[in-house]
Amino acid sequence: MSKISPVTGHYITIEVDGLEYKVFYLENGTGQPLVCQHTAGCHNHQWRDLLEDEEITANYRVIAYDLPRHGKSDPPENTEWWKQEYKLTAEHYVNFILALCDALELKDPLFMGSSFGGNAALQLALRHPDRFAGVLAVEGADYSPGFYLDWWQHPHANAAQVCASGTWDLMAPQSPESDRWKTWFYYSQGSEAFKGDLHFYSVDHDLRDRLDEIDTDRCPVVMLTGEYDYLTTPEDSARTAGRIKNGKFIEMPEIGHFPMSENHARFRVHLLEALEMLRNPAAAPV
Amino acid sequence: MTTATRAPSARAWAEAFAEASNTDAEIQAHGKYFTCSYLLDAAERSYVIQVESGRVTGIAVDPGPLDVPYQFAIRASAQTWREFGTPVPAPMFHGIWSATFRRDMRLEGEVLVLMQNLRCITRQIELLRIVGSPV
Repeated sequence: MSKISPVTGHYITIEVDGLEYKVFYLENGTGQPLVCQHTAGCHNHQWRDLLEDEEITANYRVIAYDLPRHGKSDPPENTEWWKQEYKLTAEHYVNFILALCDALELKDPLFMGSSFGGNAALQLALRHPDRFAGVLAVEGADYSPGFYLDWWQHPHANAAQVCASGTWDLMAPQSPESDRWKTWFYYSQGSEAFKGDLHFYSVDHDLRDRLDEIDTDRCPVVMLTGEYDYLTTPEDSARTAGRIKNGKFIEMPEIGHFPMSENHARFRVHLLEALEMLRNPAAAPV
Repeated sequence: MTTATRAPSARAWAEAFAEASNTDAEIQAHGKYFTCSYLLDAAERSYVIQVESGRVTGIAVDPGPLDVPYQFAIRASAQTWREFGTPVPAPMFHGIWSATFRRDMRLEGEVLVLMQNLRCITRQIELLRIVGSPV
């Protein structure tokens, strides 16, 4: 007997900075939109368990999209993208997220991103605080250098395995082995986009001198980081949140850089706490 | 002599490590082209591990400076390796990437060869959680 998931998938075509994208997204639930960005070089299956989380989808419309060049979202339809090196910028990334939310006609959405999505959450709070009811920056920081590496695309090594095993240590040993291996598997699929994504993550994203410009009265910010994350450590996120007026930070023990994908059961406890903080910012501890 | 009294345990560790690797389901399933040699440098101890087609074919214990060639080196303090050799390592001691980014581990030599064999090397180093610290 088959069991059909309530999660559905759709394509939507949008234009961003003159580029036409056919974007794939998964969604489930009703209520306030919760727009979810996967990590660099990956795709929306990282949110597979959140999408089927009955408690959260009872109150939120969870939307997990594939960024163009990831998963089922193709590179731009109207350019010869294969003749250019892919290097994601903060400007284009932010514009893409806004265009997608516009096209989906979302009202007061929350944005949640992990890793380079967590950094994007901070960019959105800074640049477009009136477009989101709040952001959740998972494994994010003001600055995250050091991962824009040629190894991800080196032709003399197996790029799929380098990307997948190169990110393996970002996960906590306590996370279920099957979920870590799913995450590894996703990473074996994204090597062509991974390095270009990391241009944003490690090069173009730098908010060290701009955190005090983030207005959390207009767009509250909650940051969540796992203790096994060696790229964006809890100290990095705590420092970042501490420099944002009324910025909130939650440290997640026994979890790594891919919380929603490596251990949703543990992550959801902290996520529910963070969502409550966004609902009632005044009551939340700093 | 310090070296003489410690040698048997180092040899025993090397044999246990080789046995664990050569019977590991993951390495044996994916190690058809896993061929390389590397120095595991633990400051107080060192080993050159030789792997051919997924099988550990030799481990030199505390080799002299020019005794045994190797392609790349994974170096760290004895204390760092001891942290690796626990069933559930503390944060940052749970892999060669984390310890290199955040602790005193260094990856040296032909790093390309390490990258070419990264999948199986990653698993092999995790076997320390079972076999124990090399030092």
